[in-house]
Amino acid sequence: MRGPRGTVERLDQPSAYFSRNKRRRLEKENRDGENNEDPNAHNDQPEEDPLKNATTLYVGNLSFYTTEEQVYELFSKCGEIKRLIMGLDRFQKTPCGFCFVEYYTHQDALDCMKYIGGTKLDERIIRTDLDPGFTEGRQYGRGKSGGQVRDEYREDYDEGRGGLGRALQLARERERENRQYNDDDYGRLK
Amino acid sequence: MADYDRRGGSSYNPRKRRYRDDDDHDRRGPPPAYGRRRFDGPPPHVRVRKQLIAIAENPMRSWHDEVTHIANLFTDNWDDELLRGNFVDLVLQLAVEQPLKTPFTAAVVLFANAARPQVVDMLLAKLTARIEEKIGAGEWRDVKLYLKLLACLQPCLEGEGVFPVLEELFARAVDLQTASSEDTIGTEIVKIILLTLPYVMVAAPGKWTQKAADLMDKTDIIASEPHTLQTLVDPYHPEPGDESPPQCQSLIGLLQSQLQNEANNGWALSCLPRPWEFPLSEVEQRAKLEDAPKHALPPIKIPETVVTGPRPLFPEVYISVYANQDVESVPPLSNAASSLIRDALVDTINVLDYNRNVTARHLIDLDCYFAPRTFAARATPFDKLRDIEPPKSTWKPEDVAVDAVFSQLFQLPAPEHKLVYYHSVLTEACKLAPAAIAPSLGRAIRYLYRNSPRMDLELAHRFLDWFTHHLSNFGFTWKWTEWVDDVYLPDVHPRKAFILGALDKEIRLSFAQRIKNTVPEPYRELITEEKEKDQPDFKFANDDTPFAAEGREIAALLKRKGPDEEIDAVIQRIQSQAIDRDLDALVASTDVFVTCVLHIGSKTLSHVLAAIERTKDRLADAGAASDAARTQIITAIMTYWSAHPGVALKIIEKLLNYSILTPETVIQWALTGFAGRTKGEALATAHVYEMVFNTVVKVTGRVRQLASRPLSTMGDTDEAETREREVSAMRALFSVIQSALTAWESGKDVDMADGEGNSDAESQQMVKRWAERWLRVFRRRATVEEAFLVEAERERARRKEREEEEARKKAEAGNADAEVVDAPAAAA
Repeated sequence: MRGPRGTVERLDQPSAYFSRNKRRRLEKENRDGENNEDPNAHNDQPEEDPLKNATTLYVGNLSFYTTEEQVYELFSKCGEIKRLIMGLDRFQKTPCGFCFVEYYTHQDALDCMKYIGGTKLDERIIRTDLDPGFTEGRQYGRGKSGGQVRDEYREDYDEGRGGLGRALQLARERERENRQYNDDDYGRLK
Repeated sequence: MADYDRRGGSSYNPRKRRYRDDDDHDRRGPPPAYGRRRFDGPPPHVRVRKQLIAIAENPMRSWHDEVTHIANLFTDNWDDELLRGNFVDLVLQLAVEQPLKTPFTAAVVLFANAARPQVVDMLLAKLTARIEEKIGAGEWRDVKLYLKLLACLQPCLEGEGVFPVLEELFARAVDLQTASSEDTIGTEIVKIILLTLPYVMVAAPGKWTQKAADLMDKTDIIASEPHTLQTLVDPYHPEPGDESPPQCQSLIGLLQSQLQNEANNGWALSCLPRPWEFPLSEVEQRAKLEDAPKHALPPIKIPETVVTGPRPLFPEVYISVYANQDVESVPPLSNAASSLIRDALVDTINVLDYNRNVTARHLIDLDCYFAPRTFAARATPFDKLRDIEPPKSTWKPEDVAVDAVFSQLFQLPAPEHKLVYYHSVLTEACKLAPAAIAPSLGRAIRYLYRNSPRMDLELAHRFLDWFTHHLSNFGFTWKWTEWVDDVYLPDVHPRKAFILGALDKEIRLSFAQRIKNTVPEPYRELITEEKEKDQPDFKFANDDTPFAAEGREIAALLKRKGPDEEIDAVIQRIQSQAIDRDLDALVASTDVFVTCVLHIGSKTLSHVLAAIERTKDRLADAGAASDAARTQIITAIMTYWSAHPGVALKIIEKLLNYSILTPETVIQWALTGFAGRTKGEALATAHVYEMVFNTVVKVTGRVRQLASRPLSTMGDTDEAETREREVSAMRALFSVIQSALTAWESGKDVDMADGEGNSDAESQQMVKRWAERWLRVFRRRATVEEAFLVEAERERARRKEREEEEARKKAEAGNADAEVVDAPAAAA
């Protein structure tokens, strides 16, 4: 596809995220389709790479407080932005630390991977990854409490992303409530 | 999919096992019995590849050790077919991917030649084919890089080696230059010849001085003559009265005189590495190299007509941000080292745009790739350079590296890659070696800040953009105190304009409160309270504003998505009231409506875009109604978002996409309307420049796209028509810009009726100067675009010729084969 392997690694290649997901899906299909007449049907035609002409980037590790305008300001340095979709908390509809940036051309998206991914926005190192394209529903966090999954059980305190992981916070709160309840009980008995 | 994978599954590294697939089973086979386990290491082809790629990276290893080691590893395993084939390809690949290493890989080849001369023949066959191919395609940098490799192999070539190739190239350059004084391919070829020559001279010392002198006699005519287009790419634009305008020299003119110096000095070229030289003690190795067989260079066919290639060519000038220091921290212009080191670094930077980390690494390690003692020790503080005793070098490797990146960032008309790439290289270099790089950047910033008023305006804005982006990656820390006095200058002063522009850009990447905390007290006054508000005030909330009630009504209607008729009714009311008050009815209603759309979309850009999407028909109608109304759309946006011009600019950009606004409207608003209201001081405002510049880029980008689109056989005439239309629209736009600016430059528009004192005259003088700088930028852009169109036209003609040629061939082949083909076709 790209000719011989380069002597220097490229920064504009997608992470293993999509190839991994795809492989899993294929394996599952293989398992499920064992009784089908032609289990290898999809192997006959080489699969179209969904990222070959990707113009969209997934952008991660944003602060919850980073605004659309800030994203525009930085990402416009690689080309005009066609569309920006902020990742939102599924319940509160507030930014939850990721977004999708769509450019007009594939080249702009690749350049963004090379020149902006891994640099800072709003004083945080951000992560970019090529994405096959935004579909409705993907703007919401998929964690239990509405945000991103990584913010559920995170053990470090990240001020830009709501402190501790939400599941941990919740557990601690509950613990504290229980204790208070006992205290109150104790007080009332007195 | 495999080669898309970042995990590099195909590389050989046993420690990376854990990164393999989860379902990967253990491939090592049964564990050997304890004590008998033997570690073979990776196979030779893997070891050679790894070592060759990393050649010269380790400063602790002597070059001749490393070179002989790799060469021996290669020749000892000559029977390994995989290794033999890969080796040649890898050498060629390294030449164009990691140009700093070329002399070192060449040394490996020279040494391998002693044991296995066949390898050189294999290499030369491929290398000459590549050179031929790249010349044909006009990929001049690759031509240069391959020729550099060839030049380093000069000692193992028969006859005159690389010289005949250089001479033939020169013959082409002469033809081109005599045909046209604006030719740039000939200039490029001469540059390549001059940059190849030094490598021949260090590879085969003492042998070719006469040949070199002959060649340089010839190049002198082209190289020493200033190019007609040179003023176009001059980074400086000093005022007429400037007493010491910064000197800017043509790259090839400089090279020619530097090499002349070298020739007079017996081609010392002390900065270039000579990894093929062995210490005197290694008698055996030296003898081996001496006696190694020579090879005939396969002929390289150079086509009669050469082409510009994918990248437009312009003459180049040498620029340094460390000029005129009291201690030389970079090689002086008189020394060939300045050009040779710069050339190798710039190639590295531009070739490796796909991995800025590696680029930065090469820049930090640059002293590994040049002769020992070329530079002072890394991270020597600038003040300590003074203490270095004369024969030792005072060149700071960090300064040389940073200078090379800036030379690209400030390349006119445009560098090879997007500007943000060069930002990112400086960011990474700063992250890799903050203690070494940061002070160098600091001195560069001071130089640029001092000189930005006399720089080309486009470059001054590139500096502004880089500076703010860079600070945003390093916690917005800068020693603002040293510029504090400039805060009190008038806004129209270029240095004050820089400060205002920088604060605004910083805020756009962050937020007002944060930036306020990073600057000393006097600067904080410049960040107004409005900038700290998330959403601007809605002027119709105040009853004193004309049409306040109507404004609120429309906002409410828009918010609850009320029916069009109701909005119509309110707009009617505004218009009739406006007529009563002797106002332009369309302007009044447009102002109210646009302000309301902005207000309901004030929360985020998504909100305002959604609001525009819903109201785009009405906005388009308003814009189409009259020029004044269309201009009012921009006025309303710029007024509403006056504290955050960045947001306003983005909204205007979207309205241009919807064709609600036209490029002319934007230009007129900025250069006539707004500039008029501010007595021309708008020209000093960074975001006004940005607005005009972005609009022009948008228009020219569209024209370029149309001009370089491959012809479809069907809609030929349609396409040509669209193209013509867009091209003439672009030309019209440029002339609108130029006539507006010329008025400011000549001072005609200046209304001195209210006769103020000196301060006003002074600021008018500055306005004139701004107009002069603006004019140069947009005149250049117009010229560059015209040049692009000419080249695109040629390319279209060439493509058409090729296609016709192919079609003819196909037709001929078809006729000949028709009878033969018939039979199987019938069978199918």
